[in-house]
Amino acid sequence: MEEKNKKPKGKILSWLDERYDLSGLLEFAKKKSVPKFRETIWYYFGGVALLLFVVQVISGILLLMYYKGTEDLAFESVHFISTKVSFGWLIRSVHSWSANLMVLSVFIHMFSVYFLKGFRKPRELTWYTGFGLLAISMAFGFSGYLLPWNELAFFATKVGTDIVGQVPLIGEPALKLLRGGTDVTGATLSRFFGFHVAIFPGIFVILLTLHLLMIQRQGIAEPEDYQKLPDDEKKTIPFFPNFAMRELLIWLIVINILAILAVFFPWELGNKADPFSSAPVGIKPEWYFLFMFQVFKFLPGEILFLPGELVGVLLFGIGVLLWAIVPVWDKKTARGNKNRLLTYVGIFVIIFIIVFTILGFILD
Amino acid sequence: MMNNHSENSNPGKTKRRDFLNILLGGGFIAWLGALLYPVFKYLEPPEVEEVKVSNVKIGAVEDMQKDSGKIIKFGNKPVIVIRKKSGDYIAFSAECTHLDCIVQYRKDYGQIYCACHNGRYDLNGRVASGPPPAPLKKYGVAIKNDEVTVFEEAS
Amino acid sequence: MKNKIINIPVSVLLLILSFYTLPAQSTDQCIKCHLDLDDTHAKLFKTDVHFTKGISCAGCHGGDATIDDMDVAMSKEKGFIGVPSRVNRFQVCINCHADENKMKRFGSNIPTDQYEKLKSSVHFQQSFNDQGPLADCVTCHSVHDIKNVKDPTSKVYPTKITELCGSCHSSAEFMKQYNPALPVDQVSKYKTSVHGHLNAKGDPNAAECASCHGSHEIQPVKDSRSLVYATNIPSVCSKCHSDAKLMAAYKIPTDQYEKYVKSVHGIALLEKGDLSSPSCNDCHGNHGAVPPGVESISKVCGTCHVLNMELFEQSPHKKAFDEHNYPECESCHSNHLVEPATDAMVGTQKPAVCVNCHSTEVNSKGYIVAGKMKSLIDSLKTEDSETKNILDKAGQKGMDVSDATFSLKDVRQVLIQSRTTIHAFNLDKFKEQIDEGFTIVNKAKINGEEAISDYYFRRIGLGFSTVIVTLLVIGLYIKLKKVEKKS
Repeated sequence: MEEKNKKPKGKILSWLDERYDLSGLLEFAKKKSVPKFRETIWYYFGGVALLLFVVQVISGILLLMYYKGTEDLAFESVHFISTKVSFGWLIRSVHSWSANLMVLSVFIHMFSVYFLKGFRKPRELTWYTGFGLLAISMAFGFSGYLLPWNELAFFATKVGTDIVGQVPLIGEPALKLLRGGTDVTGATLSRFFGFHVAIFPGIFVILLTLHLLMIQRQGIAEPEDYQKLPDDEKKTIPFFPNFAMRELLIWLIVINILAILAVFFPWELGNKADPFSSAPVGIKPEWYFLFMFQVFKFLPGEILFLPGELVGVLLFGIGVLLWAIVPVWDKKTARGNKNRLLTYVGIFVIIFIIVFTILGFILD
Repeated sequence: MMNNHSENSNPGKTKRRDFLNILLGGGFIAWLGALLYPVFKYLEPPEVEEVKVSNVKIGAVEDMQKDSGKIIKFGNKPVIVIRKKSGDYIAFSAECTHLDCIVQYRKDYGQIYCACHNGRYDLNGRVASGPPPAPLKKYGVAIKNDEVTVFEEAS
Repeated sequence: MKNKIINIPVSVLLLILSFYTLPAQSTDQCIKCHLDLDDTHAKLFKTDVHFTKGISCAGCHGGDATIDDMDVAMSKEKGFIGVPSRVNRFQVCINCHADENKMKRFGSNIPTDQYEKLKSSVHFQQSFNDQGPLADCVTCHSVHDIKNVKDPTSKVYPTKITELCGSCHSSAEFMKQYNPALPVDQVSKYKTSVHGHLNAKGDPNAAECASCHGSHEIQPVKDSRSLVYATNIPSVCSKCHSDAKLMAAYKIPTDQYEKYVKSVHGIALLEKGDLSSPSCNDCHGNHGAVPPGVESISKVCGTCHVLNMELFEQSPHKKAFDEHNYPECESCHSNHLVEPATDAMVGTQKPAVCVNCHSTEVNSKGYIVAGKMKSLIDSLKTEDSETKNILDKAGQKGMDVSDATFSLKDVRQVLIQSRTTIHAFNLDKFKEQIDEGFTIVNKAKINGEEAISDYYFRRIGLGFSTVIVTLLVIGLYIKLKKVEKKS
């Protein structure tokens, strides 16, 4: 108890404490607590995603030092980074791997919040901002994929943006807006570069700030079962230092995993994109788009007088929209009852994504 | 008093604690080093291969007017070529020895002139006036079959 | 009367052929009368091969040769057609000459495919003013004094044929109406050739126009059916030149074709269909065919191998070869059996060709230079393949060495260029060229070695940071446990 009231030691710290009330801040952090129960592990993934985002920002800024976002130079500059610049290979590989791990941890984070019903009142807005963050993460991935201007990325972008063109009414103009013209060209590259390094980071940071502020304001969500426990049975972990240290531990491990991946599985560059060459065999989007890509492959050409692709786009659109507004239609949980249907839907979605992703990898 | 006593009562534990803190602090610094070393190395611009040039052809003898000068690219260095009133060719490094500005030939002075700080060199590359601390490096000029070639003189 | 002479009723014959009669000479009223009239055509016809076989004027002109009365014999009712028209007079010839049975009836075994061949030949195109085919039977074989081709008085007898072909082909005036681009100097060139000289001496075995171009089936030289199309030439020449019996008289070897097909040129032309590869005529000439003289060999080879020729002519070998009367290119590369040049041709050990002339004494200049050139080119090749291995190794380790690998392409080019430079037989020049390759290969090698060491450096660095992280994690964990214990 005594320790708690101790003022920070050391000249600098006390100097700072005098001015910014560090001990007060510490006090605040120490009072915060995280519920301790079987599924506490899932609480770390938001933090992991945050760490990876920071890694993305730093490695991205470093890549910007050498990257040239034009049709003629994009490929060459990336090649230059990964061969001529010392540790360029590392920065590039870390950026690519970290992007993938980030999307993965954002997905895990989202599903854990979904299953633990973390989106319930009063945390609807946290869920919506989180959903926005997921969407932008994927958009980051999609736009970043094109930037090395290699064959695979070029055609994957072509196919990916084509799907956007299928959206009724707004499809055509949206496609033009995305591509900066009717086709994937150097203009698309410039556009994607702009999205990737300016527009998306801006929106992402705003949403992320809101997301974090809301969590700070409302405290961490407690799962249903935990909430029902009598107060004296509610076990908690102090946010500081215990939870923070655990998080730090995981961060260290994640960073090392990143380094291992970057060293042993350096990101391939492939061949420079040539708009007039035929599409290479086995073009695939990034894995987190793969299940959609695969579903579109299975769609018949025509479903009930409508083009198959259109039906696909519509179904996906409705599905994603329903998922996004789950706080609105999930009345049962809101009333404090268990909503089994919600859990089943979640399991179905996970199985669906996993199965089609695997199919996408196996089938050509 | 009690406080003091309790702190000193278990010196072994405190020591271990200190050791752990030192280990963590040291480890953290080393880890930061392992992180920052690649980053700083990365920021160091890689050496771009210099295109090795030993001579540059600049055209026919009559291409340049008498009493005029022009800057040519010699590899990635600028070189000033001057055709004197007599019709002879001479060439010097065009980088002023003062602050690396690019010099020019001034007809009115009959000298090589640097506009940055009024440095002047005579037509032998020697400093005539102004701040330049050293003469301009001389390049060789050869004329063969009516073609003017600037070459680097062996130093 | 007719029935007694021939077995087939004349009426039927007339119906079918209209002008086919076979009268006894004594009763051939046509010739009898026309000779009396001092008709030159009739006089000529008396020596014609057809007349000797018993074919009358009426055989071609129609009419009835047995009737004395001119008006009746040469009447339309009797099938008289007068002078056959220019447009389809060949019909008269092919009536028999395209019919094997008819030919046999006259005891002739000559082929009957002339018309078939002629029909698709360049000569059977229509002439410009609707006068029928450009050239038909009569154009070459004449009208009334047709002889057997083996008869020296035949217009198509080997020694006469050049004159016959030349009557059109040597006339610029005539030829330009049909093919202004075609030269008209073939006959005059031919006369300068070995074939032409023999032909002029009356040797019927020496090749003339038809020996190479064929007779009835002549096609433009760019037509792949033509006998003198590039890929057909070797076999056309070999028809005579590989015939030991025929060539015995001229005392020349007969193995040229056999050698040529095995040569780099023969394989390129005949197997790979590379029309730029030389055939017999590209070195020996076509109409003016002669063996190239010793001095001019490098010029002949140099028409294609320009750089090699230029270098050779500046080389010390040029003078020495001239003095000793060595054939230039041929001395090392041979003639018909030119094999692909390999690096083994240079050096001091067989199969190197240098020691064919240069003494194998270790101190002789040629020996030293040859040895040095060999070792230079060999060591560049070794360096090149070693570097390739290093780069491959680096590549297998996942390192990007594409730039270095790409630069090795220049080494290949240096090697090719140096193989040409050899023909200057100048060690300094050669060394300069090879050194360029060494510069590139050494740089690539360094790149490759650096990539490999970088590969290990990465792993060591990773190991280092993993150790730090592990220590940190353990430390943190201990600290965490302590903190948790306390609370």
